[in-house]
Amino acid sequence: MKLLITGLSHHTAPVEVREKLAFEEQALPGALDRLCRRPGMVEGMILSTCNRVEVAVTAEESSDAANSVDEFLAEARSVEPSWVSPYLYHYNGPDAIRHLFRVASSLDSMIVGEPQILGQLKSAYMLAKEHGSVSGFLDLVMTRAFNVAKRVRTETEIGSSAVSVSYAAVELARDIFGSLSGKRVLLVGAGKMAESAARHLRRAGVSDILVTNRTRSRADALAEEFHGRVVEYDEMAVTLPDVDIVIASSGAPHFILTKDLMQGVITRRRHRPMFLIDIAVPRNVEPSVNTLDGIFVYDIDDLDRVVKSNLTARVNVAEQAEEIITEEVERMMLRLKTREVTPTIVSLQEQLELVRMSEIERVRAKLGVLTPQQQEAIEAMTRGIINKIAHAPITEMRRKANDPEGIQLIHTIRKLFRLGEG
Amino acid sequence: MADSSIFWLRVAAVLYAMGLLHSMLAILKRRNDFYGFALGTFRVGVVLQGVAIVELAMAEGRLPVENFYGSINVCAFLIALVFLFVDWRYHFASTSIALFPLVFLMTLVAGMRQPVSAWSDVRVRDAWLIVHIILVLAGYAALLLTAVSSVFYLIQERRLKSKKSPSLLEKLPPLGTLDDLISTSMGFGFVFITLGVIFGVMWAYIELGTSWVGNASISLSFVTWGLCLAMIFMRASAGWRGRKAALMALVVLGCGALTWVAHAGLRPTLIP
Repeated sequence: MKLLITGLSHHTAPVEVREKLAFEEQALPGALDRLCRRPGMVEGMILSTCNRVEVAVTAEESSDAANSVDEFLAEARSVEPSWVSPYLYHYNGPDAIRHLFRVASSLDSMIVGEPQILGQLKSAYMLAKEHGSVSGFLDLVMTRAFNVAKRVRTETEIGSSAVSVSYAAVELARDIFGSLSGKRVLLVGAGKMAESAARHLRRAGVSDILVTNRTRSRADALAEEFHGRVVEYDEMAVTLPDVDIVIASSGAPHFILTKDLMQGVITRRRHRPMFLIDIAVPRNVEPSVNTLDGIFVYDIDDLDRVVKSNLTARVNVAEQAEEIITEEVERMMLRLKTREVTPTIVSLQEQLELVRMSEIERVRAKLGVLTPQQQEAIEAMTRGIINKIAHAPITEMRRKANDPEGIQLIHTIRKLFRLGEG
Repeated sequence: MADSSIFWLRVAAVLYAMGLLHSMLAILKRRNDFYGFALGTFRVGVVLQGVAIVELAMAEGRLPVENFYGSINVCAFLIALVFLFVDWRYHFASTSIALFPLVFLMTLVAGMRQPVSAWSDVRVRDAWLIVHIILVLAGYAALLLTAVSSVFYLIQERRLKSKKSPSLLEKLPPLGTLDDLISTSMGFGFVFITLGVIFGVMWAYIELGTSWVGNASISLSFVTWGLCLAMIFMRASAGWRGRKAALMALVVLGCGALTWVAHAGLRPTLIP
């Protein structure tokens, strides 16, 4: 049995190719069905996200699985095989396992360390499992891939820093306030990015969201979405001392939060820290506000710099993660080889025992009545013969279990002794 | 006449102790529910202290401010009166955090102008001194934590202000956590040092009568306590954080260290 992964990703294909190859969620059960019905296929799983489409299969040794999967992809997505083939990659055996571990650990992602891919991979696995198209070898590899991803996340800091502007704002808020529980946020203006930042803050534990906007209806809609309340635009300055985080994204052509205004606000707050996130262009917060004690101002460029610095840090951490992947692939290969050796040894011993028993039965009639001592002697002699025959192949299989040619040896022994497919 | 004035003064000190208790609870628990009761006892204390001053003035035939005890007594009384006026006129209750302990300690010292009999048991005397030392050292330990946290706060604040992220500094706790740590350690530091000073003053009073007043090392410990009180007050009322709070904490810690060094050889100078 062999493992093969065929696919394309943001590394090999532009978005116009990826979108053509992507499977809709409701089309996946039918596609899995058609994949597993192809000749030689044993198991199959399809991962389809905006950044990658991958088909993982286990197939019989004799089958031409790579071509078969290429054909399947072209047929399933109604594209010409010659059009899609330049974008496809194929990984076999240990390389396939390594690729799977890297994908699960988010080392192959567009944003290294992003957490979504693991969830998408788990969903693809669950669907294939429910559908019955993953049950043996692939199941084992997938389960291991999830554990490897968990190990990478635990032992490295691959996912610890923010790599989106909104999330960077939340991380900075945590650096300032620690826990965000009980903190109050004011949205000034109702831009999309402000909305996203507010959503992240809400998830991070912010309990109270206030919205102020020149257009009242938009403020009402946002307040409803976040279960917050609207503050009249003219009353914003009065509300500011009670607010811990301000997200400014108003379209005003001038500074709304000036140094003079904020000086009064921070005094009334008795210098309790305040975080101003200015994602408006032109900016809403006068830059010199950042010089006031207790007030931290980050504009869109500052947040972008934080994101870039975190991305660079992630690439450095990825090297550490690659070492874990290498170690885990070796461990997995060893496990797979050991898994193949044990049943082969048992089959060999059973096969030889069958031969011994049938030969004794065949000659028993010719020998006539045997004394118990004679019977015992024949048993001992035949058992000794088969043990001597089995000794060399069993020793060799155990010795080569860790070597790359171990799998080949197992196949040869199975073929020589006609042990059948295990 | 003088004996009864001392009696009223000591009763006033006990009543002022309720104010001290209120301050400690307000600092540690950040709750003010004990304020009403403490203010009531404080008012009664002011009346009794006034009675004590009048009695003494009548006995001596002049305003009793000619020695250290008399002047500190009148000074504490005036501070208490000013506080009551400010509280009545402007409802400025937050000053009570600093003034209640100050008035209490001044009145306590003022009430020690008449020596009392020496220790009945030498073991009690030694145990008393050990409690004083442990309380003061615990206070200094808490102040050290305050100072270290304040410096970390300053570094973290600089990092966030400068918008740079050196990897080593990212490991520092969030500002909010450091702020909590500063408040808590400062509160405990103040409580331990206040109790330590009270125990120390009482020990010195019983042991040495009135001869300890004016000793430079002991005066330094009062200065340390005063700075600690000022730090607590500035944080509670004006919200001192960041640079100011860090500098103040370092000054208090430095003063505490000097007091400690000065006290290392104090006993032989007090007891020849």
